[in-house]
Amino acid sequence: MSIAVRKISKNFGTFAALDSVDLDIPRGRLVALLGPSGSGKTTLLRIIAGLESADSGSVQFDGEDFSSRSVRDRRVGFVFQHYALFRHMTVFENVAFGLRVRPRGTRPSPQRIRERVTELLELIQLQNQAQRFPSQLSGGQRQRVALARALAVEPSVLLLDEPFGALDAKVRLELRRWLRQLHDEVGVTSVFVTHDQDEALEVADQVAVMNGGRIEQVGTPDEVYHRPASSFVYNFLGNVNLFHGRVDDGTTYINNEETGHLVFVRPHSMEIARQPAGPNYFRATTKHINAAGPSVKVEAITDWGAPVHVEIPQERFRALALLKGEEIFIMPRDLAVFSNDQRH
Amino acid sequence: MVNALPASAAPAVGESRGVRTLLIAISVVFLAIFLLAPLAVVFAEAFAQGLAAYFNSFTNPDTLAAIRLTLLAAVIAVPCNLVFGVCAAWAIGKFEFFGKSGLIALIDLPFSVSPVVAGLTYVLLFGAQGPLGPWLAAHNVHIIFAVPGIVLATVFVTFPFIARELLPLMAAQGNDEEEAALTLGANGLQTFFKVTLPNVKWALLYGVILCNARAMGEFGAVSVVSGHIRGLTNTMPLQIEVLYNDYAFVPAFAVASLLALLALATLVIKSAVEWRAANVKEKPA
Repeated sequence: MSIAVRKISKNFGTFAALDSVDLDIPRGRLVALLGPSGSGKTTLLRIIAGLESADSGSVQFDGEDFSSRSVRDRRVGFVFQHYALFRHMTVFENVAFGLRVRPRGTRPSPQRIRERVTELLELIQLQNQAQRFPSQLSGGQRQRVALARALAVEPSVLLLDEPFGALDAKVRLELRRWLRQLHDEVGVTSVFVTHDQDEALEVADQVAVMNGGRIEQVGTPDEVYHRPASSFVYNFLGNVNLFHGRVDDGTTYINNEETGHLVFVRPHSMEIARQPAGPNYFRATTKHINAAGPSVKVEAITDWGAPVHVEIPQERFRALALLKGEEIFIMPRDLAVFSNDQRH
Repeated sequence: MVNALPASAAPAVGESRGVRTLLIAISVVFLAIFLLAPLAVVFAEAFAQGLAAYFNSFTNPDTLAAIRLTLLAAVIAVPCNLVFGVCAAWAIGKFEFFGKSGLIALIDLPFSVSPVVAGLTYVLLFGAQGPLGPWLAAHNVHIIFAVPGIVLATVFVTFPFIARELLPLMAAQGNDEEEAALTLGANGLQTFFKVTLPNVKWALLYGVILCNARAMGEFGAVSVVSGHIRGLTNTMPLQIEVLYNDYAFVPAFAVASLLALLALATLVIKSAVEWRAANVKEKPA
C-alpha cells in the first residue's frame, strides 16, 4: 500500500514537532526517516500509525484519507523501539496475539493460527524458542519476535521506530541486513525511523532526511549522500569540515571571513602533501594523528586558526611519515558550497 | 576466614560484626515487645478458660452478627475499591491530564486523615443535622448508625490500598504494550484483559489482600458512624471493645484472636504472593 502524508503539523505545547510535512512513500518500498533526536521523525511515524493524531493535515493510504481512522482500522504493523513484547506471554503467544484478538468471524482456526505462527517463527529463525518468555531472549531475538508479531496480522504497511536503536553494534549490523533481506522477501511497504545515517543509507530504498520538524530532502541513499540539498543534509550524512568562504565568478575562496558562504569538505576528500600541488591548497599544522582503523585520521590547524580533519589511506600516511606539529599542505578535492542564509 | 564465607556473608558495606549483631538484636527485641508479646497475650487470654469457653464465645448472637457485618462491609468495600483502584491507577499511570497531581493527593487523603475525622465527616454529611439529613429521613434512608454508614466509612479508609499498589507499577510499565496490542487489532477490552491486567495481577492481588485486612480491622471511622447498636451495627473490632468493657475477657479476646488470625493469614498470603511475583519475574513458569 502506498502512503501519502499531506501537510501534517503537530505541536506539543509550544514546540512544533512537525511543520507542514509532505511525504510520499510508494508501494513496496523501504523508506528511512533519518534525523537527529527532536527532528520529529518518531512523531511522524506515530501519526502514520494512528498512535498520535496530527493537529492538521492528512494521511492517505492508497489515496484514501485515513486521518480519522483508528489504529485498529489502519492495519499497520508497528515495531516499537523497546519492542513492547507482552512480557507475560511466550514468544508463540506474542506472535499469535494479533490473530487471536480478531472478531470471531474473521479469526483463523486454532490450527491455522498454529501454522501461521510456526511459519513466522521459522522466518525469524526462532522456532526453537517458541515457549520462551521475552525476558529470556537476547535483544536481537526480541526485536525479531516484535517483527514477526507485527507481520502476523499481514499489515498493509510496516512501521519501525528505531528498530535497532537498543542493540549493540554487531547485532545491529546483522539485523539491518536481515531486515533488508526480509523486506525483499515479504515486500510490504515499510518505513523505519533512525538517527544513524549508516543504517539509513545501507538499508533503505529511499531516505527522508528530517530536521526541526521538516523534511530537508527525500531521495535514494546515493542522491542524499552525493547531492545533498542543504547544508544540514550534507552535515548530517557523515563527517564534515566547515569553512567560511566566498564565491567569485564560479571560483570558491576559502578564508576565515564570514562572507556569506559555507564551504563543506568531507575528511576523506582532502589530500595531504609536503609541497603544494596545483592551485588549490592551504597550509596547516598537524595537531593529532590517530592511525588506528582502516584510514588515518589527521587533525590539523589551518594557518588562519580553524581546526580541520583529514582522513588519508594508511599507505599514504606511511609514505608521508607524518609527525605531530609538522607543517603540511592540504588540497581539497571535493567541495560543497551553500549560501549562508540557507536553513541548516 | 573471610574467604571461607559465601559472598553474601561478606557484604560490600562491611559493618563490623558487633554493629551487625546490635542492629539485629534491636530489631528483634523491638518486634518481640511490640508485636509478638501482644499477639501471644491475645491468644493466651482467649484460651485462658479452655477450648470450650473459647468456642462458646462464638455462640453469642451479637458476636455472630458482628462477624457477619464485618464480612459484609469487606465484601462490599473491597470490590468497590478494586474497581476504583484499577481505574485511578490506569488513569494516573498511563495518561497525562490536568489535575493529575491533585488526584494523587486525594487518593492519599485517607492515609493522612484520622479515621475518626473521616467518620465524623460522614456523620456531619448524612446525619440528622447534616445537609442531607432531612431529605434522607423523609425518604426513610438510614445511613448513619446503620449498615450503609459502616460500609461507606470502610470504603473511605481502604480506598488508597489498591490504587497505591498499582500506581507505581503501571506508571513504570508505560503504554508500549497497550499500544502494541492496539496496532495488532485488539479492542479496548481485549487490551485491558489480555495485556494490562495480566501485567499487574500480582500487585493487584497484593493490594486486595491489604485492602481486605484493613476493611475488616477498621475501628475509628466505623466507630463514629456505627452508634454501637449490639447485634445491628457493631463490627468485629467494635464488638471486641463492647465485650471488653463488659469484663467478658474470654469472648473479647476470642473475637480478637479471629482478627489476629486474619492478620497472620494476610501475612502468609502476602509473602506467598511476593515470592511468586519475584519468582515469575526471574523465571517465568
